[in-house]
Amino acid sequence: MSVARRTFIQLGAGATVGILFTPTVWKALDDVSIWTQNWPWIPTLKYGAIENKPTVSKMCESGCAVKVRTVAGEPFGTMGNEDNPISGGGICPLCANGVQVKNSPNRIKAPMLNGEEITWEKAQEVVAEKLAAAGSKVAVVSGDQTGTANEVFSALLADKGSDAFYVMPCDMQAADKAWTGLMGGTGQIGYDLEGADLVLLAGADALESWGPTVANLKSFAANESGKFIFAGPMQTKTASVTSKWVPVPAEGMAAFTLGIAYYVLQAGKTADTADFGQFKAMVMSEYSPAKVEAATGVKADQMAALAKQLLTASNPVVVPAGPVAAHGAAFALNLLLGGAMKALPEFAKAIPSAMSRSEMLKADILEGVEADLLFVYEANPAYALPEKIKAGFTVAFDMVQTETTATANLVLPSPHPYERFDDLASPYGLAAATYSLGAPVCESSVDASNAATFILGLADLGFESFEEVIGAKTEAIGADMDALQGGEAYVVEGQTPMAASLAANVLGKASVPVKGTGTVGLAPYTLLNVGTANQATTPNAPCTISNNQLIGDHMVVMMGSATAKQLGVTVGAKVKLSGGKGECEALVQIFEGVMPGVVAAPLGLGHTVGDEFSKGKGDNVYKILTVSSEAAAGASTWAGSTVNVAKI
Amino acid sequence: MSHFKEFKIKWGMVIDIDKCTGCGACMVGCQVENNIAPMTKSDPYNYVQALTKPRDDASNKLRTLTWMNVYELSNGMAFPEHETAYLPRPCMQCGNPACVPVCPVVATDKNEEGGIVSQIYPRCIGCRYCMAACPYHARYFNWWDPLWPEGMDKGLSPSTSVRPRGVVEKCNFCHSRYLQAKDKARMDGEDPMNLPDGAYTTACADICPTKAITFGDLNNPEHRVHELAKGPHAFRLLEKLGLHPQVYYVSEREWVRKQGDNYNADAGGHH
Repeated sequence: MSVARRTFIQLGAGATVGILFTPTVWKALDDVSIWTQNWPWIPTLKYGAIENKPTVSKMCESGCAVKVRTVAGEPFGTMGNEDNPISGGGICPLCANGVQVKNSPNRIKAPMLNGEEITWEKAQEVVAEKLAAAGSKVAVVSGDQTGTANEVFSALLADKGSDAFYVMPCDMQAADKAWTGLMGGTGQIGYDLEGADLVLLAGADALESWGPTVANLKSFAANESGKFIFAGPMQTKTASVTSKWVPVPAEGMAAFTLGIAYYVLQAGKTADTADFGQFKAMVMSEYSPAKVEAATGVKADQMAALAKQLLTASNPVVVPAGPVAAHGAAFALNLLLGGAMKALPEFAKAIPSAMSRSEMLKADILEGVEADLLFVYEANPAYALPEKIKAGFTVAFDMVQTETTATANLVLPSPHPYERFDDLASPYGLAAATYSLGAPVCESSVDASNAATFILGLADLGFESFEEVIGAKTEAIGADMDALQGGEAYVVEGQTPMAASLAANVLGKASVPVKGTGTVGLAPYTLLNVGTANQATTPNAPCTISNNQLIGDHMVVMMGSATAKQLGVTVGAKVKLSGGKGECEALVQIFEGVMPGVVAAPLGLGHTVGDEFSKGKGDNVYKILTVSSEAAAGASTWAGSTVNVAKI
Repeated sequence: MSHFKEFKIKWGMVIDIDKCTGCGACMVGCQVENNIAPMTKSDPYNYVQALTKPRDDASNKLRTLTWMNVYELSNGMAFPEHETAYLPRPCMQCGNPACVPVCPVVATDKNEEGGIVSQIYPRCIGCRYCMAACPYHARYFNWWDPLWPEGMDKGLSPSTSVRPRGVVEKCNFCHSRYLQAKDKARMDGEDPMNLPDGAYTTACADICPTKAITFGDLNNPEHRVHELAKGPHAFRLLEKLGLHPQVYYVSEREWVRKQGDNYNADAGGHH
């Protein structure tokens, strides 16, 4: 059969008309255009009753009092708790991302023994066996500064005849070593930042990362007539809002403080301690402004002006950070001034055999830890203290995967703070002893169990679960459980601090600035949105990290233009920093708020384990910190770290 | 051409720069409240990952979605005279917005009592004229579909629908909180058009530890912002452009105030 031209045209016309009338083609085109544009995954929102449930969040070091926002029972956001004095409605950037960390795929989902999933019963058996074999060679490293969980861990140690309880290096520890150790004081030191009329932050980055940051920020905002001054090697975020920044190298902070004390003593101030005369003689001879200026580079005029301001203020306070000596010097100065430094009573213990807080702070982790069996509780020493910890068998409790859980023999998943009972007892730095409680606001999404409850199953400490311990704690301190669960805090006012001595002997020697041998000083700094020693940055926080800390996967270090010139580098140059026992790579940024001869580097980057928000981002500055011995004070410090900088 | 429109209620902010430490809590709180997904490099739904470029991560600040963004200011001096300050920047909700008249599809408008500049995502065609027009860089384009790592999408906020790639988005003063506050007022038998101070507030103002951000009705004398915006050290960004932002800043530092309006500073600028 042949097709004539006319037939072909007729068929073509018929087909065209047919296509016009059939919806198939148009529908197919429409579908293609829609489906090629459509999302592969369409998120849906959950609707229902919105509630704000009070609890505590322990992602930052001091912990935040929060309210977890839930929709139909499912947490979605975190807000501050106005009823609690440590929040006042605000929270820190880490805890603001609490729910997202709770739901993170980086959560540890079940107990793991050498990389293989096991049951909780099996985990209990394994640890019980190791515990029996270890005898008294058991140690604990805790990343929790405020929780009663520490009582449970220390009571287990006491049961085994060990006192090897370690905390991660922190200012609370340095303060305690200075106050109760060197000066014979009692209680925990606090600072009334809201009531003071002059606050000298001697190295304490109080409005960014030091102490109870959110409470500090609240006090700073409420204290409208007070004056805040920051002293330190770089213009931190704290220094951006204080009325003045006094550049002082970290290792010179103790000498700088004693240099101010010189003028205060000259003005006739005294302190009621046995060694006052000796202290005065020591300061007047060894820490005269001229000598301090020669040792630290801080002008005598500046110290004189600061001393004058402190002397004319009616309620001044000096807030230290860093080495034990810097703390001792600041406490001595505060005792002379008689201002807004407080001594907080410690809350009664729930477990009689547990250590007191001061006892928990005695052991120095920077000197190294060796044990047959090591428990690591929500701390990340493998990241922040490389090569310091040696253990035959390590049990790590954590919510998320970290460098420490990656190297531990047994990994036990902790519930997220929103999924468990926990508490915050007097975060260091607060002016009043404050106790806050957290109860679970939702079910755990993984097979987690409270670490303290697990420990209670290993020894007879008089309790079955951590919830019972919390109940006993509340009873012991005389607080009302219902009010605490409703988000209120139990508060006991701080008292006037009383010391037996000004530690004249020790401070005289320990305050001399000791610096490493590298070409430039290293000023490591912490930003909460970048992370802490124990907590890496959170899913939404990377957007908030500036190009002054991280560009792409490269860490950024900051220095003044004079230092850059000295080192022969410019903005964007890639450099290698070497110090301590390690090296770091970084890009250079010019920031005139860093003292000449100093490089400022952010702590908290460079994780090798974790989620995509922290893993492989920048480099780990803890590797290049130098541990030096504060021989006279019987402690170790990172202050005075120096680095060599080489272009690469 | 002026589009200035007066409203009885004018929601606004007064941000005290002297209290802002740049901690970033407001930025995190904003992302959580408004379902802004974390920036993830890999896409589990992209089955041809090997052939395509990875998505941008959070350090590419040209691609991040930061409705609330904190800028670092410097006085430009060398050590030791150097000073810094931090400036949180939400959408200015301009009285005479530059973004509204340029939108070809009326996806953005300023027509609701309260003076909040709306952004209607299903209507947006992603042409980004509004982004070019906004002198505050307050608008953001979704270069990528939002993706929450596995399991994280169950904690989405009920406040805001999730936007697909290809549309522009911006701060809307947590508008759903406004709707909720009005609903609550109606239920309590109060006037929804005369909300008391604090009845409606934004996530960033809520979360700020120093309460550097104060939110309220600029027209209502009973709201704190009414007085704060008239303070001797109050200023607005690029005031000379005549866009009448509803966000005010306060700083006692002169160099900070000067940087707030340096556009064409010497030549007089627009009036």
